[in-house]
Amino acid sequence: MEFNLPENTTLIADTARRYLKDNYSFEIYRQHIEQQNHVDASRWLAMQELGWFGLPFAESSGGFGGTLLDVAMVVRELGAALCLDPYVDMVVAPGKLLEYIGSDASLAMLSDVIDGRAKLACALYDYHAGYQVLTPSMKLNGKRLSGQKNFVPDGGFADTLLTTALADGELVVLAVPVAACETTRHRALDGGRIANMLFDEVEITDGMILARGKKAEQALSMLLAYLQALDCARMYGAAGALYQRTLEYAKTRKQFGVAIGSFQIIQHYLVDMFIDLQQLESMLLMVAVKAESEDASRRERASTAAKAYYADKAVRIAQQAIQIHGGVGVTEELDIGHYFRLVTHCSLTHGDRAHHINRFAGLDEVHPGE
Amino acid sequence: MNLDFTREEQEFQQSIRDWMQTNVPDDIKRCSAVGEMTGKELQQKWERLLGGQGWLALTWPEQYGGPGWTATQRYIFDLERAMAGAPPTSPFGVAMVGPVLYTFGSQEQKDRWLPGIVSGGTLWCQGYSEPNAGSDLASLKTRAERKEDHYLVNGQKIWTTQAHWADMMFCLVRTDSTVKQQKGISFLLIDMKTPGIEVRPIYSIDGHHHLNEVYFTDVRVPLENLVGQEGMGWTIAKFLLTHERTTIAGVADSHHEISRLKKAVAEAPGFLDKSQARQRIAELEIELMALEYTNFRTVAATDEGKPFGPESSGLKIKGTELQQKVSQAMVELGGMMSLTWDNPETVGSDVFNRATRRYNFLRACTIYGGSNEIQKNVLAKMLLGL
Ligand SMILES: Cc1cc2nc3c(=O)[nH]c(=O)nc-3n(C[C@H](O)[C@H](O)[C@H](O)COP(=O)(O)OP(=O)(O)OC[C@H]3O[C@@H](n4cnc5c(N)ncnc54)[C@H](O)[C@@H]3O)c2cc1C
Repeated sequence: MEFNLPENTTLIADTARRYLKDNYSFEIYRQHIEQQNHVDASRWLAMQELGWFGLPFAESSGGFGGTLLDVAMVVRELGAALCLDPYVDMVVAPGKLLEYIGSDASLAMLSDVIDGRAKLACALYDYHAGYQVLTPSMKLNGKRLSGQKNFVPDGGFADTLLTTALADGELVVLAVPVAACETTRHRALDGGRIANMLFDEVEITDGMILARGKKAEQALSMLLAYLQALDCARMYGAAGALYQRTLEYAKTRKQFGVAIGSFQIIQHYLVDMFIDLQQLESMLLMVAVKAESEDASRRERASTAAKAYYADKAVRIAQQAIQIHGGVGVTEELDIGHYFRLVTHCSLTHGDRAHHINRFAGLDEVHPGE
Repeated sequence: MNLDFTREEQEFQQSIRDWMQTNVPDDIKRCSAVGEMTGKELQQKWERLLGGQGWLALTWPEQYGGPGWTATQRYIFDLERAMAGAPPTSPFGVAMVGPVLYTFGSQEQKDRWLPGIVSGGTLWCQGYSEPNAGSDLASLKTRAERKEDHYLVNGQKIWTTQAHWADMMFCLVRTDSTVKQQKGISFLLIDMKTPGIEVRPIYSIDGHHHLNEVYFTDVRVPLENLVGQEGMGWTIAKFLLTHERTTIAGVADSHHEISRLKKAVAEAPGFLDKSQARQRIAELEIELMALEYTNFRTVAATDEGKPFGPESSGLKIKGTELQQKVSQAMVELGGMMSLTWDNPETVGSDVFNRATRRYNFLRACTIYGGSNEIQKNVLAKMLLGL
């Protein structure tokens, strides 16, 4: 085995970190959180110029042929910077779904994503179906689409949804204009925008159906593993930032005439955070390599385990960061609480801990090391 | 051993339950059913209602307006209060400054301040913590200089819960900086309308305004607002810490939260794995039972007039940890329904939609009132002799 990041991946990560350091800040984030539209035009353009829009996609699909690991490093940096720009929600997620579907029509849409012309988002969940994405509650009856999608991360401004429904029990993936549904948007826990979308007998033409049956299921399963890995990457970025800031705070905050980091219990807390962070990093490398595997069982084993582990340990790191900060840790003014909310948020998207524990328990046995 | 309420206590419980059923205002029930903050107006309405009934200053001697209940009765009351969906009463007047006043205050001070606390008419806040005096409270710097007929107060407090609601603050100030830290601290009552006081909000990560910074610039406080003698502030503060332990574990409110959680799970849309959810709740309930029976021992000891035994020492630690666990379970069982923050419409379940606010805020319960780390330091030293 070999755990060194490829040179190119390191370069991508370093560039992302530098870009965000120069162009993003907690102050910008706090303004951003109040806004309805979560795409800042100049940053959006900058991200495109950095090559992030093409990064996740194969050259044969018109992308730059980056790996999931490359994308995960970008997303890690976005998490570390608390950046709300909906890169994953509006580029990676819809783009990967289109790429995995792989039809001429979907690849044509993908090229608009890569060019930055598309305003797409994925609407995969509703509260009835919960995390069971392959059995959405929305129905396509003949040419009429009815039902609802919730928790849609659309940056507050998507104009087209990639969404799912059952047509006579068969899964279909559709591209539907946002204008065709009744939309209400609000703030999510991480500060981003999410939407509820009601579809009331929306007329669907054949051209709007992108995939059906096995093809649709397979594309969605691959997409989910990919996004679960990116959830972990984002949490890793946040957990790392929490650890760094908390360590610094423990060295500078004084009570009883000494730094609180001189108290043994605080030292042990920080050592536990450090060790957990190491394990989280291992899990991130593991999932970022394996979650884009062609082999479904390998993919699921990796993404399910990683997501379950993160929902426990990254959350614990965030809780401890607050505890060690004392009163200031629970204020809006400090970034600590915002990272905490981001981590909680990501622990609940694309399957929460209980969901993944359940799933993992149902997976096939493999020989240790496989 | 008898581990059940007596027949009289059961009758008492029934009568309180009946009263709560008819008297807890609907708007309060609505808030608590979904886990929303009650806000100042509702909180005061509720406290005045209890005050009118003589049920606010529960631990106080009857001569000052207490109902004359046993600790068991107080426990029962608290339980029925919580289960009826009513909020805990604000601790600052009733549980903190009141007992200080009837223990250390002059006759004039008692006459002047106790009635407003008993009736729920006066709102108090606690001005202890400062930016550099949190866990190390004794290092506080807010100064009170003794002048002809007043103290001149300068300095800053922080994390002052409800300072923006309060009529009065009880405050620890430094009156002497030449003696050992603890010896130079005094306990002052400060009218929040006095010129020179500025209250600035601090928003917490539940998105609400509970906390404040309070700045004092040449604030004149009448000499008669000193409680006890100069230099007694630390003794009084320590007295407060040991005053009432029978509700510190938050058992009553944890019962209410668990029952809310059960109801939300039962009503949740089909996707939730209910048997998995019920197991998780069962684990919480069992933990709560251990806490509750430990608490019962403290309650019983109080009624027998015995000092608190070692069993009471972990109540705050275990109680706050459990509050956090219950709120975390609520967020996690809600899954994506917990992702909503300021959603005007219900997505599946109001309870889950609002769960993260409480979860976020409760991160503070292992920090305030003496952090759990400090509690453990004290126990290691005092109880274990380490
Ligand atoms: C929601 C909320 C409401 C509050 N309401 C009020 C109020 O109404 N009035 C008021 O006066 N104050 C109030 N407080 C303040 C509260 O009492 C303090 O936050 C608390 O005492 C901790 O102080 P600190 O925040 O300065 O943290 P610090 O004292 O700086 O502690 C930081 C961390 O170090 C740890 N630590 C410190 N010393 C030691 C030690 N010796 N050994 C091991 N660990 C240690 C702490 O446990 C904590 O984890 C409130 C706080 C919160 C969060």
